[in-house]
Amino acid sequence: MNFRKSLKVLIFGLVALLLLVGVTGCGPKTSGDSGNSITILIPDNPVAFNGINTDTGYEQALGELVMLSLSETDPNGNVFPELAVEIPTVENGGVVLDEDAWTMTATWKLREDVFWADGEQVTADDVVFTWNAMVDAGAWYAPMDYTESVEKVDDFTILVTFSTVFPAYNLMFGGEDVFIYPEHYCDAEAGFYEWNCDSQPLSSGPYILEEWVADDHLTFVKNENYFEEGKPAIDQVIVRIVPEEPVKQQMMLEGDADLHYWPAEPASNLYKEEGNGTKWAKSPTERWVMRLIPNTYVKGDPETPHPFLSDVRVRRALRMSIDVDTIINDIFLGYGVPVWNDFFRPPFNSCDIPRPEYDVEGAAALLEEAGWTDSDGDGVRECNGCDTAEAGTMMTMEYAIYAEYGESLELAQQLIAESWKSIGIGTDLQIIEGAIMWAEAEDGGTEIAGLFELDMWDDGYPGTDPSDQIWTFYSSGSDWNYGHWTNEDMDGYIDEMYTVYEEDYLWAACEAAAILEEELPQILLFSTLEMHGLSERLNGVLPNSNDPVTWNVADWTLEE
Amino acid sequence: MGTYIVRRLLQAIPMLLLVSIALFALVNIAPGGPMSAYSRTNRMPEEKKEEIRRKFGLDKPLPVQYVVWLVGNDWMQIDTDGDGISDGNGTRLGILRGDFGFSYKTREPVLALIADRLPNTVYLMFFTLLFTGIVAVPVGVISAIKQYSGFDITATTLSFMGQAIPEFWLGLLLILLFYGTLDNPFTGEALFPSGGMQTLGAEFSILDRARHLFLPVLMGLVGWVAWYSRFLRSSMLEVINQDYIRTARAKGQTEQKVLYKHALRNALIPLVTMFALDFPYIFTGSLYAELLFSWPGMGRLFYNAATSRDYPILMAILIIGSGIVVLSNLMADIAYAYLDPRVRYE
Repeated sequence: MNFRKSLKVLIFGLVALLLLVGVTGCGPKTSGDSGNSITILIPDNPVAFNGINTDTGYEQALGELVMLSLSETDPNGNVFPELAVEIPTVENGGVVLDEDAWTMTATWKLREDVFWADGEQVTADDVVFTWNAMVDAGAWYAPMDYTESVEKVDDFTILVTFSTVFPAYNLMFGGEDVFIYPEHYCDAEAGFYEWNCDSQPLSSGPYILEEWVADDHLTFVKNENYFEEGKPAIDQVIVRIVPEEPVKQQMMLEGDADLHYWPAEPASNLYKEEGNGTKWAKSPTERWVMRLIPNTYVKGDPETPHPFLSDVRVRRALRMSIDVDTIINDIFLGYGVPVWNDFFRPPFNSCDIPRPEYDVEGAAALLEEAGWTDSDGDGVRECNGCDTAEAGTMMTMEYAIYAEYGESLELAQQLIAESWKSIGIGTDLQIIEGAIMWAEAEDGGTEIAGLFELDMWDDGYPGTDPSDQIWTFYSSGSDWNYGHWTNEDMDGYIDEMYTVYEEDYLWAACEAAAILEEELPQILLFSTLEMHGLSERLNGVLPNSNDPVTWNVADWTLEE
Repeated sequence: MGTYIVRRLLQAIPMLLLVSIALFALVNIAPGGPMSAYSRTNRMPEEKKEEIRRKFGLDKPLPVQYVVWLVGNDWMQIDTDGDGISDGNGTRLGILRGDFGFSYKTREPVLALIADRLPNTVYLMFFTLLFTGIVAVPVGVISAIKQYSGFDITATTLSFMGQAIPEFWLGLLLILLFYGTLDNPFTGEALFPSGGMQTLGAEFSILDRARHLFLPVLMGLVGWVAWYSRFLRSSMLEVINQDYIRTARAKGQTEQKVLYKHALRNALIPLVTMFALDFPYIFTGSLYAELLFSWPGMGRLFYNAATSRDYPILMAILIIGSGIVVLSNLMADIAYAYLDPRVRYE
């Protein structure tokens, strides 16, 4: 056989192989028989079934499938009991305040009809065990700073003693991060981060983990011991780890998946179109707010005020010259809402902080007023009579975003920089890895070490209580006050927010909101929506900015 | 030859040691760190972070961290509770005793994580290289012996295209075509699956495995066939004009024997070097193929470890990869001696 002949044989063989392999593959497509089973697409392998030991954000979502908490938050921000009988409050006697010492206790009553998948009952011992395991392992979440003790009163009652009045007490054993683990099953000696419950959880929730192939898929089957009668309605949940966005879109269109977790904006547009077998769902409230964080001190020098970012008039001009609506509509394809103050969610949106105007000319005038003019005609302003810098200092700064967000944020960064350029503010655009931006100071972390001038990233708080986030960003005592802006009155109002009296809380919050609007230590732009792509056959999915979308997975149903 | 192999292996030890020092320094000196996972949305207090750093061994100076990584700390007293007083021996054995540590993210032993993914990568890359050989060798040989023919021009054009097409883009096109557009005429389902190694929930079947393998292998094949076939064509062209080929023909040997026995064997020698350089891919995998086709392999493990600064995983893959590079080069030298009788190692 000569070469030409062998090549023909080879080509024929390959084509035949292609046809044989492709055409004879007559089994189910990629996800098994999709009967009463759904497939969820996420991009990263979750670290564990542990919301505290989180990295990808999908730990909580998958944890919701198998684990329960004492309380949860619905999409409108209402806290509701899950393992608990009711949420303890001052009114029902569950919360007792010591007004003099400004401390409090909360008593939790547990349901008596909840069982682990192995038939053991969920009791107060499990709650105390979970708390002790977290403390012993050095785990941390905000309530740990305010909690003195967690004690079992009886088999179904817990008493929590706080060292101060702590408004977020009602999500202490719940929300998106904390699950209750079984004392009789988890290997306590291995510890909270290494124990078997992180990888082979014993279920109290609607599903049981059947299989976990790392970086490939997780399979969950219905928990027959689940306490809500008749739930869940769907027998099987398969979670596939598919890193690439276009592949996920194609799988949704082919009907191989039912839920595309956190799709990028172009995919959301696709899911909005009718007739392609998909739909989309979004949360009624927002959470993650894209914000500009100006370092009010010189990069890496916490003693010297920044030549122009320390001037509130400049910060205000920066905000006035950003066309937020264009960013939302043209770059984020309408999947966002304008946000201009940290107190933007109910009930704080009643603080009456008016939305700022987009006014480029006004911004330029403000810069003139602040003593920044372009006297040499090079398109960049210099200090000519400003209060905060030497004469001739150029108005240029580094402006960084984080790489992982992707193209939308890069486009937003470029649009904002163009706008600032038009009023004489120069920028050096940077894109930094998240692992560098939020690293420790000794590892070169730009935020914590103050090694930046102006950064843009998103942040937000879960649940209903913003006090911890406000303290984090704006308190003079916080290590995470990245912009280094401080204000004594603000510190006072933050302290006032640590109350369980709603009226007092709202008053302090609105006072703080007014200061933030006046001083603009951060420039808030817009909030992206919590949204998900769905197959047309999947119903009951209610995206929740306070909790992962799987918060109500037991209520999901499939159309025949 | 035996002495030569032993000598090369002994030489590899100090080299790998130097490589490990350089890699350890580079990985740790690069900006960013594993604690970033605790910093953005989880404002962990400093004392808690200190505990984690101590647990990970990140509180020690870099040279000490290297020594612990290499030879462990079970022979030295360490401070486990952070009170500044050494209170017991460590538990790490070091890589020389097979302990590559545990992942900062998942807290699982690194070797277990690698053991999970390595077979998947070897499986994918083995078939990619196998089909590369099956396609590239005849294409390269025919292009050479039929130089400037229609086949040669076509193969050359396709080779340049194959080298020029970005692998990632090609993969997306393949998915769009074979998964999104072409359907199986009998079942109406997609011709090939979009990714994964097998149909979830279905019984094991070789055909099902082959269907899942097809697109990722095809994606890798295009670039590698282009490269190998071009290389073989040049090598073959050089060989078929040599005197000994003319002599073989003059001796009346069949054309097939001349080409296969005399020309091809010698033309393949330079390819051994190329293959030796590519061999470590069998271990490290193809990141693009694994990302696009949701393949749970080493490439993704490495990528995720790099983005989250999971140093133990990074170091394990890098040092094992370095070892494989050294070994594959040694294997290439041995293969040279086998293929070319003139090569002798003393």
